[in-house]
Order: sequence, then C-alpha cells, then structure tokens
Amino acid sequence: MLSNFGITVSIISLLLTTSILYLSYYDLKSSGNNVSKKIYKFAFFQIVFTFLGFITLIVAYVISDFSLINVYENSHTTKPLFYKISGTWGNHEGSLLLWINILVLFSFLFLILNKNKNKNFKLYTLIFQNLLISAFLIFLLTNSNPFSLLYPIPTEGMGLNPILQDPALAIHPPLLYIGFVGSSIYFSIALAALISKVDSKSLALTIKPWVSVSWTFQTLGILVGSIWAYYELGWGGFWFWDPVENSSLMPWFLMTALLHSVLVLERRIGLYSWVIILSILTFTMSVVGTFLVRSGILNSVHTFANDPSRGLFILSFLALMVFSSIFIFFKYAPDDNKNYKIFSKESFILANNWFMIFFLAVVLIGTLYPVFLDTLTGQKISVGPPYYNFILAPFLLPLLFLMTLGPKHKWISSDMIGIFNIALFISVILFIIIFLSIKDSSILMLLILLFSTYLITQTIFDFYEKFKNKNINLSRIISHFGFGMLIFSISLNQIYSVEKSFNARIGDEKNFQNYTIKFNNLETFSKNNFKSVKGYFEIIDNKNTTSQNLTPEIRVYNQPEIITYEASINTRFFSDTYLTMSNISNSDIFNIKFQKKPFMNFIWFSVLLISIGGILQFLRFEKKI
Amino acid sequence: MKILSLTIVLFFSSVISYCDENKTYEILKNLRCLVCQGQTISDSNSDFALTIKEVVNEKVEEGFSKKEIYHFLSDKYGDWILFNTPLKKNSYILWFVPYVLFILGGALLYLVIRKRTEKTK
Repeated sequence: MLSNFGITVSIISLLLTTSILYLSYYDLKSSGNNVSKKIYKFAFFQIVFTFLGFITLIVAYVISDFSLINVYENSHTTKPLFYKISGTWGNHEGSLLLWINILVLFSFLFLILNKNKNKNFKLYTLIFQNLLISAFLIFLLTNSNPFSLLYPIPTEGMGLNPILQDPALAIHPPLLYIGFVGSSIYFSIALAALISKVDSKSLALTIKPWVSVSWTFQTLGILVGSIWAYYELGWGGFWFWDPVENSSLMPWFLMTALLHSVLVLERRIGLYSWVIILSILTFTMSVVGTFLVRSGILNSVHTFANDPSRGLFILSFLALMVFSSIFIFFKYAPDDNKNYKIFSKESFILANNWFMIFFLAVVLIGTLYPVFLDTLTGQKISVGPPYYNFILAPFLLPLLFLMTLGPKHKWISSDMIGIFNIALFISVILFIIIFLSIKDSSILMLLILLFSTYLITQTIFDFYEKFKNKNINLSRIISHFGFGMLIFSISLNQIYSVEKSFNARIGDEKNFQNYTIKFNNLETFSKNNFKSVKGYFEIIDNKNTTSQNLTPEIRVYNQPEIITYEASINTRFFSDTYLTMSNISNSDIFNIKFQKKPFMNFIWFSVLLISIGGILQFLRFEKKI
Repeated sequence: MKILSLTIVLFFSSVISYCDENKTYEILKNLRCLVCQGQTISDSNSDFALTIKEVVNEKVEEGFSKKEIYHFLSDKYGDWILFNTPLKKNSYILWFVPYVLFILGGALLYLVIRKRTEKTK
C-alpha cells in the first residue's frame, strides 16, 4: 500500500516538475513583469507532494512495513523509534529522497523569497533548479527506488548497522545535505544570471544568503560527523582524511572561497565570472562527493552499501552538468573590468581563494589519485593522514598570517599595514610561555602555534577597536577567531596527546608515566537489541591524585550481527580521558587502549564559532534588506 | 657505586623501551588494516591487525629501523598497507603536483592583480 502511494506521489512530483519547466519556459516569452501565478501554484504542489513522499517513507519505517525492500534491508522491529525515523536517510535510497526534498525546498524558498527580482532571472533559475530536480527524480524512480516492493513479505527486517544508530549520525546527513544540496540553488542562480545578464550587485545580493546558509550547515555537518567519529569509531581521533570525510570537505573549501568572493562582488562589483565559476564548481563538487560515496569506488569506513550502476548514473549526470555549464559560461560570460591595488581587501580575498583552491586540489588529488592509479596500472597505494599533514600543514602558516592581516585592509587601495603592533607583541609573549611549557615538538608545529596565537590576539584587538567605533562586522571576527582557536587547539592536542595500549585481566593494575589504571571488574548484561560486556576501570592520576571511573563496552548486536567497541570518555574542561577495550580471542585477556586527549572541547567549540560567523553574516544580510 | 650504576642502567633501559614503544605506535598508526574498511592497524581489533601488531613489536625489539619495517611489510602486502605513501615513481604526481599548482595559482594571482593595478594608475 505504502509502496504504491510512495511511487505515485513521486511520479506526481516528477510531472509537476516537468510542468514547472514547461510553464517557466513559456513564461519567459510573455510580457508582464511578474512570474505567472500558475508557477507559484505548481511550485506549492511540488513541495507538498515531494514532502509527502518523504513522509510516506518515514511512516513505512515507523510501522516497519517490510513489504518495502528498503525498509526490510535497513530496519528492524526492535529498533528504537528514534532510529527507525533516522534510518530513513541512513541508506542510499532514503538519502536520495532527502536530497530531492532539499532541492525542492530550496527551489520553493527561492521563488517565494525573491519577489522583486528580475523576472527572467528568476525563471531561468527555476528552470535550472527544476532540471536538477527532474534528473534526481528520474534517478530515484528508475535506479534507486526506496518504495520498491518485496514479495513474499518478510516478518523481520535486517536491521541498521549499530554504529549508525546514534543521535549525532541521525542529524549528520540532514545537516550535510542542506550544505551540499543548498549549493544547487546558487549553481542555478549563477547560470541564470549569465543568460539573463543580471548585473553584479543583484547577483551578489541574490547569492549571498544562500551561500551563508549552506556554508553554515556544511560546517555544522562536518562538525557533527567528526564528533561522531571521535566517540563512536573508538580510535580517539576526529579526522582521518578518509575519502568520505574528504568528500564533505572539498565543497566546503569552495563555499569558503565563494563566501569571501561574494563580498567583493557586492561591494566592488568585481569578480563576476569568478563568482559564477565558484558557484558552478561548488555544486559540481557536491555531486562528485556523492558520486564518490555512493558508487563505492572508495575504500572507506563509511562504505556501507554501494553499487556501480548508481555511480554510472551520477557520473553521466555529472558530465552533462559540467559540459553544459562550461558551454553556458563561455557563451555568456562578460568581461570583468575592475581595478584595485596590491594591498587592498580585494587582493587578500583573492589570496583566500588561492589557498582554498589549493587545499581543494590537494584533497582532490589525494582522494582520487589512488583510484586512478589502480584503474590505469593496477597498482594499489594508500594515501593517508601523513600525506595531508605533510603537504597542507606548512601552508597553514601563510594562511593564518593572511587571515590576520587581510581584514584590516581597505577596499580598492590601502597602504601596507605595519605588522609590528601590540597584538604581535602580546602573541609573541604568549607563545614564549607556551614554548617553555612544551617539552618537545617540531619547529613547524611551534610556528603554527605562534601564527595561530597571533591571529587570535589580533582578532580580539580588532573586535575591541570595532566595538569602540560601533562599526562591527561580528561574523568575520567570530569565524576568524574560531579558525585561529581551531588550529591552536588541534596543535596542542597533537603535542599533548598520550596513548598507551596494553593487555590485562580482571584485577590487573598498570602503571605508566603519571597514571595508574586498575581493571576492577567485568559485567555482562543484555538489552533489547544487543548483549554487552562492560569493563570497570579506575584511572588514577598520580600527579594530582584524582581518580576517575571509566566503563568501556564490547557490544554484540543481534540485528544485524555486529560487534562494536564502545569507548568510554570522561570529558573535563581541558582534557578528555578515552578508554576502549577489546577481547583477545580464546582468552580472558583484554586489550586496553588508554588515551589522554587534551583540548577536545576547544576543538568542537572553535568549529561551532566558525559556523556562528556564518549565521551572523546571514542575519546581517537580512537586516540590510 | 653498584647501586648507582644499576639505577643508571635501569633508567636508561626504561627510556629506551619507552622510545621503542613510541616508535611502534607511530608505525602502527601508519599501517592500513587490510581486512577492515579504512582503519589503521593501531585502531583495529581484527585478528589480522593483532598479527601485524605482533610482527611490528618483534621487529622493533630486534632493532629494525622504521624504514626497514615499512619496507618489509610493503614487500609482503604491497604499498596498499602503507598510509604514509612512499615517494616512488608511481607517486611523483601525488607528491609534486600540489606544489606546482600552488606556484601556478600564485603566479596567476600575481598577474591578475598586477594587470588591474596598472589600470588604476
């Protein structure tokens, strides 16, 4: 029943989408300054029906309707209600439906929020956006249908991978998708702007709020994903330069570049073509990311289910999208003709773009090179964290430096600003204090610490100055401060992390450095969908004689049958204590891994600050209008 | 005197074993667990990972250098096991292209800014 309803609703969505395409195309030729009322009506029904499809799938999950293959493969009656719902988008078909819903939502919001814009500009945007929507709907209906039937109807489902049954991972995909798919709207806007020859100022003003919104969600999505990886995957890190993580980071670099360039376009009416290129690239990179994740050509912690035919569809779609964008770009792109001097804000923003594109290129090469090498020569190599750290870390120095100085410069032209100021003096002193308390570290690490300290102090000074003059751009200050804090905390985290793994039985005691770890007890218990072995540990810090109790677990889930190792984390303000245990087969010995992870809270908080900057930029923009 | 020398010996031997341990960690962190999905040997609890941990421990104790151990493992399992991609003929592009791109990008940026600066004059 639900299957038929879901499919019908999706087909109606597709019909509505094609109708909007048809109506918009004919409305282009009509006189009158407003978009036809009919299009608004169709757009309204389009969002209602698309949303209905999504609700149908959620209902199917909630009532465990196993006549749908998708529900059967990814759900189970004993699963808690919350994860039944979040399981809807925890798989390829469901997440594709979510993706389409966001595409439609953005299309609708664009239409109703831009009442006063040039008519043809709006219609072209609508046409491009609805072309995207229909392509993905066709993909959904022909290749990845979440409503496909299964007969005979099984009595029980296969369950959701337990590591995905987690609150952070329930909200991670929606956040990331709003970022990813949000970029579709400025892809459409950019192409429409080219064709309808919209001027720079209105392009900038139209694009800016969407860029801020998608950038903020992308940042938050990455943050939540990192936090999840930190406590769920049990290795104590938060970023592994895993291909799937990289797929979410690559569009982020482009969005960041765009977020900065749009400022130039708005204030100085320059960089028109460049902003268009960035807008097109961002959504392209989002689709590339999806292709990489969904086609399964990457070996990663996140590859749960994949299938080459999906990859083929996304790849052809991608090729079509890229080629038509290139064609439209070269056919319609105007000449830029704006001037500025070397030490102007424009130049620094271009430098930001230079670094973002460079970072993007490195991550792209690192992610794809092994795939190409394997396909072309059959040689398999791995590219891991050492590669990215080695290549990217040195470039953080100039980036941090430019982030410190750039915002102080004025538009068009300004004199070179002296760097020997009180902020530098203070940061050098702070740095010396830090330096003296660090035992051993590389020169690069120390320099990164120095430059991030400089960025942090300079940003605080900027804040104070601007606050005095009541001319405050809080979004920039908070985001840059957050970035400085992020690099600063990551560096200290790297330097001060402690790790120790050892084997132990119940009752054993292990001493090392300043810590004593006691393995006190072991308990087994069973819950609804898993059995668990829980270890009771006491960790004594001999330096300040504090002790804490940690209880890592080994869980054996029954549906599907999977063993997970649950880390036990005790979070204090400055430092986390992280403990995992695993059994060594055919023995009563356990392998215990103890980690001290300093500044984790600071890392999370910094990323949160960065995204708050995005929200503020969005609000500031709204106020201006 | 005997006690003093004994303490010194004990002290240094503990320092040495401590360094050994760090070296082992560093190596294990740079190895891919071949039977897992994108995990390092150090983070994995699989039987394969346990075996490799044993092997690396033994090699470190026998006094092999990091390089020799990486070499030994990649001979046996291929470069796929190494997360720190070795610089070889097949990875020149991977290691050098980023720098080339950075320089090209910088040059392009310089040209654009110079062109526009001239116009303002």
